[in-house]
Amino acid sequence: MAYPPKPTPKYLLLLTTCLIGSGLALGPSWAQTAEEPAEESQPAEAEAGEAAQTPAEEMTEGQRAAAEAAEKLAAGEDDEPVILDAPAPDARRVYIQDPAHFAAVTQQYVVDGSTGRVLGMTDGGFLPHPVAAEDGSFFAQASTVFERIARGKRTDYVEVFDPVTFQPTADIELPEASRFLVGTYQWMNALTTDNKYLLFYQFSPAPAVGLVNLEAGEFERMVDVPDCYHIFPASPTVFYMNCRDGSLARVDFADGEAEVTNTEVFHAENELLINHPAFSLRSGRLVWPTYTGKIFQMDLTEDQASFREPFEALTEEERADDWRPGGWQQTAYHRQSNRIFLLVDQRDEWRHKTASRFVVVMNAETGERLAKLEMGHEIDSINVSQDAEPLLYGLSAGDKTLYIYDAESGEELRSVDQLGHGPQIITTHDMDS
Amino acid sequence: MTFLTKARTLMAATAMALTAATGAFADKVEVLDTAPEDAVVVNIDQLKYETPEITIKAGDAVTWTNQEVMPHNVHFTAGVAAEAELRGTMLKKGESWSARFNEPGTYDYHCTPHPFMRGKVIVE
Ligand SMILES: [Cu+2]
Repeated sequence: MAYPPKPTPKYLLLLTTCLIGSGLALGPSWAQTAEEPAEESQPAEAEAGEAAQTPAEEMTEGQRAAAEAAEKLAAGEDDEPVILDAPAPDARRVYIQDPAHFAAVTQQYVVDGSTGRVLGMTDGGFLPHPVAAEDGSFFAQASTVFERIARGKRTDYVEVFDPVTFQPTADIELPEASRFLVGTYQWMNALTTDNKYLLFYQFSPAPAVGLVNLEAGEFERMVDVPDCYHIFPASPTVFYMNCRDGSLARVDFADGEAEVTNTEVFHAENELLINHPAFSLRSGRLVWPTYTGKIFQMDLTEDQASFREPFEALTEEERADDWRPGGWQQTAYHRQSNRIFLLVDQRDEWRHKTASRFVVVMNAETGERLAKLEMGHEIDSINVSQDAEPLLYGLSAGDKTLYIYDAESGEELRSVDQLGHGPQIITTHDMDS
Repeated sequence: MTFLTKARTLMAATAMALTAATGAFADKVEVLDTAPEDAVVVNIDQLKYETPEITIKAGDAVTWTNQEVMPHNVHFTAGVAAEAELRGTMLKKGESWSARFNEPGTYDYHCTPHPFMRGKVIVE
C-alpha cells in the first residue's frame, strides 16, 4: 500500500470531504476502533501519528480510508461524493439499538460483525422496538413520536427499512397510544415466521397484541389476550406468550378470530423468569433462565409447546459462591450448534440488572457446560451470529461499546465504540443456512 | 385529604363538562366527593377487588376502599362510564373513591398499573 510521504493540505481537504460525504449518507463510519488488539486501548491520536508505519493488516479503518484517499489523489482520481448503499445483509450483520436511557429520540447502529465497521444508522423515537427478518429481506421498528419532542399528540407507528439503502419502505400508523412503553425487551414484539405480520404488545388498559399486516401495509386489529407478556411466533398465525399464572398462552389469530389456550404451569411462583429469554424463530426453541440460572426450554410449534427438562446453568459451588445471571439481554441461543450462552457474574441477589464479566456456554440438549468465557469488560447484553462459526457479541451500555468475540474460544477480535448513550439491544439475521 | 377532595371535584367537573358537550352519556356515572353512607363497599386487598362482581340498582353508589399499602385505583376505559375514559385517583391504604351509577348496564373496570386486577359493576 502506497502512502504519501508528507500529507499536503490538498490531501487533507479531500479526506475531510470524503468523511463528510459518508457521514451524511450512512452515519459515522469513522466512529469505531476496528481491528484493535484486545489488550491495547491506546488513544486514537497516538495511533493516527503512527499511521504511516502501520502494516496493512494492523491498520485501523480510518488509516485504511486515509491511505485509499491518498492513493486516489496521487492517481489523479476526482472525488465524487455520493450516498452509499450498505453491503447486502449477511449472518454477521448486527443491529445495536440504543434506548439512550429513556430519551425521547434514539438511534440504531448497523454493524458488520466481521470487520467491526458501522454500515449505517436508523433514527427512532421513544423506546422503539427493533426487529429483523431472519432471511435478511428487511428490518423494521415499532416507534413512538410526539408533536413537540416529548409532549403533545402521540403517534405510534411501524417503519420498515430496505436492508441496503436503509430507506423506509413502509410507515404504518398504529392506534393511538397502544405501544407498551417499557425498557426494550427483545421479544416484546416480533415478526411472524412468514415475515407477513409484525406483532406488538399493549399493556394498558388491557393486555393485547396488535397485528400489523406488513404485506398490506396496514394496521389490522388488536387481539385480546390473557394476562401474559412477550410474543414468540411459531407459525404465520400462532404465537405464544408467558402468563402471570406460570403457563404459556397459545394464541391463534387465523380467520379474523383469536383462539387462546393455556399450557400447564411450568414454573413455580418463586422461580422468577428474566425479561430477556432467547428464542429462535427458525427452530421454535425458547430458552428462558431464572434469576438463579435455572434454564427452562420449550419447543414451540404451530400445534403445541413441548417442555424440556430444566437444568442449572451454574454449578452448585458457583451458586453457593454468589454466581448469578445479570445484565440486560442476558441469554443467547445458537440454533445450528444448539448452544446456550448466558451472562453471569458474582453478585447480590437483587443486582440482576448490573453488568456481568463472564459468559457460560452450555449444550442445550444435555445441559453440559462447554465453556466459561471471561469477557474482559462490563457486559450488559449478548447475542451470537447464526453462521457456522459464530461471533459472540458483548455489548457494554456503560462503555457504549460492542465487543466482538470468537464464540468458540472467547477471544476478543475487535470492538466498535461510540454507540450512542446507552446501547442495550442486539439483533441479527438468522440467514446462513 | 384536601388534595384528594379537590382532585375528585375537578374530575367530576371534567366528566360533567364532557357529557354536557356530547349529551350521549349524560350523568351515566357521577364521581362523588364523599362516600355516601348507603354506598356498596368494594374492598381492595392482596392485588384484588374483593368482590369482583357486584349488582346494584340504578342510582346506587359504590365506594372502593384500599386496604393495603400498595396503591390501587378504579379505571373505566373510554365508552364504559362516559365517552372519555374515567380514571379514578390512586388510593393509598385506607383511602376511598366513590361513584354513583345512574343507568342500567354492565361497567367493567380495572386498576391502571395492574391490568390483571379486574372488576365489574352490574346496574339493574
Ligand atoms: Cu392495583
